[in-house]
Amino acid sequence: MNKKRFGALLLSALTLLPTLLFAAGCGGEQTVVLRVFNWEEYIDEGGEDSWDGTEDAPAMIERFETWYEDVYGTPIRVEYSTFGTNEDMYNQLQLGDTYDLLCPSEYMIMKLAAEGYLQPYEESFFDASREENYYIRSVSPFIREMFESNRINKADESDDATWADYAAGYMWGVTGFTYNPEYVELAELSELGWDIMRAPQYHNKVTTKDNVRDSYFVALAICYRDEIEALDKTSPDYNQKLTEIMNRTDDETIAKVEAIMHEMDENIYGYETDTGKADIVSGRIWLNFAWSGDAVYAMDLAEAGEDEEGNETDSTLLNFFIPEECANLWFDGWVMPKGANTQAAQAFVNFLSMPENAVRNMYYIGYSGVIAGEEVLDYVKECYEIDPADYESDEEYVSYDLSYFFGDTVEAGSAVFLADREQAEHRQLQAHYPTQETTARCAVMDYYGEEANEAINELWSRIKSETLDAWAIAVICVGAVLVVAAVLLLKFGSKIDFFRLPPKKGYKLVGQESVRQDK
Amino acid sequence: MTRLRFTRKSLGIPYAVFLLFFVILPMLVIVFYAFTDKQMHVSFGNFIQFFSDPTKLSTIVYSLVIALITTAVCLLIAYPVAYILARSKMKRKFVILLLFVTPMWINFVLRVNAIRELLNWMGLLGEANYFNTIFGMVYDFLPFMILPLYTTLLKIDESLFEASADLGAGGFTTFTRITLPLSMPGVASGITMVFLPSMTNYVVSDMLGNSKVTIIGKFIYEYFGTNWHMGSMVALILLVVVFLSTWLTGGFREDETVRGANL
Repeated sequence: MNKKRFGALLLSALTLLPTLLFAAGCGGEQTVVLRVFNWEEYIDEGGEDSWDGTEDAPAMIERFETWYEDVYGTPIRVEYSTFGTNEDMYNQLQLGDTYDLLCPSEYMIMKLAAEGYLQPYEESFFDASREENYYIRSVSPFIREMFESNRINKADESDDATWADYAAGYMWGVTGFTYNPEYVELAELSELGWDIMRAPQYHNKVTTKDNVRDSYFVALAICYRDEIEALDKTSPDYNQKLTEIMNRTDDETIAKVEAIMHEMDENIYGYETDTGKADIVSGRIWLNFAWSGDAVYAMDLAEAGEDEEGNETDSTLLNFFIPEECANLWFDGWVMPKGANTQAAQAFVNFLSMPENAVRNMYYIGYSGVIAGEEVLDYVKECYEIDPADYESDEEYVSYDLSYFFGDTVEAGSAVFLADREQAEHRQLQAHYPTQETTARCAVMDYYGEEANEAINELWSRIKSETLDAWAIAVICVGAVLVVAAVLLLKFGSKIDFFRLPPKKGYKLVGQESVRQDK
Repeated sequence: MTRLRFTRKSLGIPYAVFLLFFVILPMLVIVFYAFTDKQMHVSFGNFIQFFSDPTKLSTIVYSLVIALITTAVCLLIAYPVAYILARSKMKRKFVILLLFVTPMWINFVLRVNAIRELLNWMGLLGEANYFNTIFGMVYDFLPFMILPLYTTLLKIDESLFEASADLGAGGFTTFTRITLPLSMPGVASGITMVFLPSMTNYVVSDMLGNSKVTIIGKFIYEYFGTNWHMGSMVALILLVVVFLSTWLTGGFREDETVRGANL
């Protein structure tokens, strides 16, 4: 065989290789691919930290792949990727990445819906008579009500689609402060409410999130505190009015909020996205604005006497405080972009919604799932229910009622249990599963709309940056220009005639030098 | 079939392709985004908005000041170190150089976290955000200043110092007339390597300044979450600033004096 022939053969073999491999990979049966885009560390990843606690415990994704093939008879492969912020996720979508299932927060879901990215769930998904429809069979009535009563596109009056049409819930929670009771009096916190952020006694001891929406919400609550407290809590449209106040974005509000946020900026220790948990556990700060799931995590860590790396520290008891005037109620939910494989995506949501799997995820990530049902209630009771025989006085425990959350998914009356008073009033339990009384005074933050969003982002950049006076900027600009000019002169000055003295009498210029002229 | 022949030119093709796809095209995309609005119409709106907003100008000024101080402090620390290492007759000075450079081999996030703990222990965390930021940046970028200085100082011909001593120049005169001028290429490349990253390294300002210090890099990052067009404009303006400062410090010179100076 001559060299030429061999080269040609090799080339064609190389070209064919991928095709052959592809054909081999597919086998006889077509593998379904499901592309899931979720938050980082927001699903059971198996291993020692999981519910089973063994090193070889399978991750939720693997369990889903096995389950799907068992139930539907076709093999499935999940392409799982993660994002860090809602905005990152949105950018990926805009860049043209395609997915079958996304897990953004409520306002991002509303934004995606308003911009026409989303595809509604199929009717069959809501058919509770089908066994495989775990979501609709086990979702908490409280969450279901919330999803069915909130319109998804608030800008368009004619569009009466609700969240429930486009989204299936995953995790939920409230916002508040994790605090260290060693340094902080609860009575003082109750009196201050969200104004903790501006309180001089907590100067450099309180943090907020490095994220505009959470900080804006806090500032709004401070700004309209009187108006919120004047609302009649017993009136049926109380929550509606509260939500209206907590979603104001008019110019006057933005101006007021800006002033408040500047004062917050002066007072707080800093903005954080992840360091707050470690800082509150170590005692570096006293108060940390937190989402309830993170708060539970921080309280668990501090109590166990461990830092995030697992080193031993002193055990401290941290508490969680939800300001009495109002708090933010948030959700993350599964949505399908247009063109998604709805069958597989819905199957995935249903699989995660099996109460057993919901417990596994909750155990792993520490947030509260939207799924109710016996298994979930058992898990909650296992964590928090107490035996009154262990207590000396009945002052130390209370009856905790979660009927609003579990509703008819469990036996009537079984969602009321005895819990430690500390737990129920200050610690993990009330962060993990707030009472109905708490959720009633929580407001959902909507998608503000493109224009208001821009205004609020600009506001945020003004808060985060130091702004110099106009004259100072002018002086600095002039100074900078002078410096540049001076350097340029030094470098090139000698090459410009203007800056050079004319040659003395009797000399002439030759190149750069003056040379004596011969007579 | 003609034989494939590798000329020098064809060996350069991979580099040309690389430059095209990873340098030139991204740059064009940034320019495109900077001068369009959200509807993708050509617009100078971002440009005008940037220069009429005191917040954005202030951020540029603050970043410049932070970067200038960082560079100056780095230079003040690095020059004597490099000088001693290069000129002294010390044994095992390689070990000392290594000690200055080894931190570079440790993961960046780890180093910043360690500094954070250190500052906390000193009671400075949350108290002096600007100081902390500059402290972290100096620590982080010091090796980048020492190395080019060390290499240029090492390459100065020994006979020049002998000649200078022969002609009666004292130590100070020798330094100002011989060492300093000949080490300028090293100074210039050290400045370029410290100044530019310290304008954009927002991990340091976030971790050590508790996100209360906003430098231009963070600004670009935040805009890319919400408004790519403005983000691109800020990036473009930073590019111009960087280009100007590199040019002014002579970073583009091709003289042979810079040999060994650029890493």
